[in-house]
Formats: sequence, structure tokens, C-alpha cells
Amino acid sequence: MIQNDPTAPSALSIDNVIKSYGTTEALKGVTFDIRPGEVFGLLGPNGAGKTSLISIIVTLEQATSGRVKVFGSDPALQPRQAKTNVGWVPQEIINHGYFNVEEIMEFHAGYYGVRDPKPRIKFLLDGLGLWEHRAKKVKQLSGGMKRRLMIAKALVHSPGLLLLDEPTAGVDVELRTRLWDFVSLLRSEGLTILLTTHYLEEAERLCDRVAIIHKGTLREMGPTRQLVEKFSRKKIIIKLQSPVSTMQHADLVSGAGTDWTFLVGMDKPLGALLREVNVSSDQLSDVQVAEGTLEDVFLKFTSNEVKA
Amino acid sequence: MKAISRDLTWTPFLSLLRREVARFMKVIAQTVVTPIVNSTLYMMIFGVSLGQQIHLEGDIPYLAFLIPGLVMMACLNNAFQNSSSSIISSKFSGDLEDLRASPLSLNQIIWALNIAALMRGLMVGAITFLVGQAAYLFTFHELLPVAHPFILFVYLILGALAFASIGICVAFWAKNFDQMSAVGGFVLLPLIYLGGVFFSVDHLPPFWKTVSMYNPLLYMINGVRFGILGTSDVPTAWALPVSIAATIVTMAFARRVIGRGNFQRW
Repeated sequence: MIQNDPTAPSALSIDNVIKSYGTTEALKGVTFDIRPGEVFGLLGPNGAGKTSLISIIVTLEQATSGRVKVFGSDPALQPRQAKTNVGWVPQEIINHGYFNVEEIMEFHAGYYGVRDPKPRIKFLLDGLGLWEHRAKKVKQLSGGMKRRLMIAKALVHSPGLLLLDEPTAGVDVELRTRLWDFVSLLRSEGLTILLTTHYLEEAERLCDRVAIIHKGTLREMGPTRQLVEKFSRKKIIIKLQSPVSTMQHADLVSGAGTDWTFLVGMDKPLGALLREVNVSSDQLSDVQVAEGTLEDVFLKFTSNEVKA
Repeated sequence: MKAISRDLTWTPFLSLLRREVARFMKVIAQTVVTPIVNSTLYMMIFGVSLGQQIHLEGDIPYLAFLIPGLVMMACLNNAFQNSSSSIISSKFSGDLEDLRASPLSLNQIIWALNIAALMRGLMVGAITFLVGQAAYLFTFHELLPVAHPFILFVYLILGALAFASIGICVAFWAKNFDQMSAVGGFVLLPLIYLGGVFFSVDHLPPFWKTVSMYNPLLYMINGVRFGILGTSDVPTAWALPVSIAATIVTMAFARRVIGRGNFQRW
């Protein structure tokens, strides 16, 4: 349910944000906007700058320069307006040693000024399968329940923008599917979501748009489907009968010995590739061809240095 | 999404205050029972046993001299421990990050932490006073009268707020548990002990008496002593301004530390 009203403020506006730690630049002028109701995926390898950016949005860190706005308010300058609109699910589980699930939810709702949080708490704990565990402490919950509690907590004050920082890391497939079903339900109510994830098929399935960040720079951004189509490459895996030490080709992604992987344009014939890498059909053991995915786009913008 | 009713003035502050009070009430054995044991030991060893050999000016029994000092020491220690251990454990578990990410203001955070610490300090101070009264009754067959209850209350509040603020500063500064306990053991404990909990500064050599006069705790502890006994080692005209100034400075410092402090988990 994306709002296309051009006069409405962006749910999240990141404007030329730079973050330096000493001489290391974690973010080198990142700029993007998320429209209200949009699910936006921020993809990148470890250390790309995703968590730094989220830490700046929630004011755990201060940007070296640049501006962040949540529904038109700067979280650092107008914290009340901005922060009441943000729900944040951090990458690591928060323990809350002394308190049970219900108490954690009540305190958290209170921090955001919610006067009567009980109906919302019941709705969220029910929806995420935690209501019967409401009297348990965090350490008594399973890993999946802890993760769901983090999401319930982030939603207890009904934010307009949900920041999900690797929410499904280490979560089994069944639970991941349940989580996304619940997030899809919230999305249908108009929630805007910024998602960072390593599961690219997840991003491909859920995100309206994705941005790929690498070494602190946005490498590419656009509607997920369009990106996949624009940068879709045929993956060709050539398996040789006997190993070779090196292979020179611009489309080479990875390889060693007998197995070599290429990402080529959709119109490039297999024969042409084999000629360009000087491999005759006699040397081949097997060839596998696969259509491109978001993972290909991701690799294109984050793994250039892998190429020989 | 359905609109919800919000109040960002009192609800966030009261929620954090409730959380902080609930936190120390959940470990009631540590927060209340331990001080009862400590106070009883101090009273029995120093007050009842050794105290019979100590003679103070004005014929004040040593146990009567000791009780206000122990009350204030218990109050200060517990106020410090409450705010510092809350922040340290939140750094460890990660929920300190929640405070920064939430719309809680600096003032709401500092007052919620300080008032919870004050409540624990007053509670443990009151328990220590009751233990002291029991020891006094056992020794002298009468209760120790309180000369100026309002003044007693004022100094306890000022001392607890100051030590809660110091607890906030130290907990934000500390990078590990060792640094935390080092400050408690090497800085605060000597200040408390040298602030005249167990002895009158009049009994110190002139040099150390002069040094002690620069310890703000001397004024706070003697303020409590004046509140209970009606007598003090330091001029009462000095004790209140020094105590108020110390509280304002420590609270201002704590506010600055929270404003610039790192809320990220260890």
C-alpha cells in the first residue's frame, strides 16, 4: 500500500550521510528516500555500513555529516516527533534479565508514551505466538521466540516506520516464513519497513525496492523486479575434465581448478563464451546454466574484487 | 494503523521509574536483607561492643553518634549502587540502547534513575535506622529521639540524589565491571569513611581535619547527624549550601554524561 502523494513527506529520508570512525569512513555520502507504505531492502555484505546507518537513524550514533528525517522530523533535533514514529528491531537479542515478556512490552510502550498499551500488547503477542509465554523471562524463551519478542516490542507503540536489522539471522525456515507473513499483514495496514538482510530471496520476495550498499557507498538502487531484470545475468558454470590454474575473462565471477562460474549477458551464446576462454567441447565435463536473481545483482555490485 | 493515545510528558518518565523500582524490588534479598545484616553487624561490633570504650564530647553515647553515620552510609551506597548497577546491567543486556532509541528525554532519564535510586536509598536508610533503634533500645532501654526530622529528610534526599548521579556518571564511564568496582572501592568508600561516619573529625590531627573539610560528604553526613542528634561536627550554616551545591553539580554532570554517553551494549 505505497502512498504516491508527492507532497507527503518521505517515511525516511537519508541525505548524503557520512559516518567516519577515525580515519575509516563507514558511510560515504549515502542518499535515499523511502515512501510511506514501502518495503525497502538495504542489502550489503558484513561491514557494508547497514548497521551504522540504522544506528544513526535511532540516534545510537551521530552522523559525521548529512541529514536523516523520519516523516519529516530529524531524530537528533526533534527526537519526540521522529522517535515515536520508529520501531527498531536490532540485530542482537536484548535480554531484559529481570522482567517477563508482558512487563517488557508494557515498559517499552510506556517509553513511547502509550497510555493504554494492553490491547496492542495482546494483539501483537497473539499474532506472534507469544501470548501464552507472556509470564516468561527472555532467557526462558527459545531463540525464535526471542526474535519474535524483539519484533513485538518494536511494534508496540504503532510506529509508522519499522527498522528490521537482520531480523531473521539464525532463524529456521518455518519461523522465518511465519515472521514474514506477520510483517506482510502489518504492511497491508500501511507500515513502512526498512529491512536489512542476508537472505536475498527474502528481499526479492518482500521488497518493493532495494538498495545495494558496499563499503559505505550505495552501488545501485531501484524497484526489485526492475533491478533483477536490468542486471539479470545468465550464470554459466563450466566444469572441466582436468583443472586449469587460471582463466581470464571479464565475466568470470569465481573459480578454481575444474569449476569456473561466469555471469554473462542474456544474449551471449555458450559457444562464444567457451571460445573467449579457450575451452573446447572436448575439455568439458559439464555445463550448468541458470537465470539471474537478485543475488546476481548483489554479487555484481559487491564482489568485483573476486574477479580474476 | 489505528491512532493511539500518547502522553510524552509523564508516561515515559513514569514507565522508566516503574521499571527501575521494579528492578530493585525483584532482587529484594540483595537490596534489603543484605543491608539489614550489614547494619546489624556494624551496630553490634562498633556501636554496642567497642562503643562502650569510646567517650565523646557532650556525653553522647557512641552508638547514638554512629547511627546517623550508618543511616547516611547505607542511603548513599544504595543510591549509588542502584543507578550504577541498573546502567551497567543494561549495557550488558543491551536494553540501554532502547532508552536512547526511545523518545525519553535526558531529563526524564536522569530523574527516573535518580528517583528510583533515592527510593532505594531511603528504604535502606530507614531499615538501617530501625536496626539502630533496636540496638539503642537493647543497650539503653529507650529509643533514640529524632531532633529535626525535616532536616534529616532533606540531607538524605540531597545525598541520595548526588550519589545516584555519581553512579550514572561512573556507569557510563566504566568500560567493564572492574573499573566500576574500582571507583566504588578506591574513591567512594574512602570518601564515605573519611566523611565522619565512624568518628568525629574533631579527633583527627589538624592537617587531616583540614583535608576532611574539603570532602562534601562530611557536610552531608553531619547534616543527617544534626537531623537526628541536633549536634554536628561542622557548622550547620555551611552544611546545607555545600550539600545543595554538591547535588546540583553531580546532577548537572550526570546530565552531561547521559547526553554525550555511549548507550551501545558491551
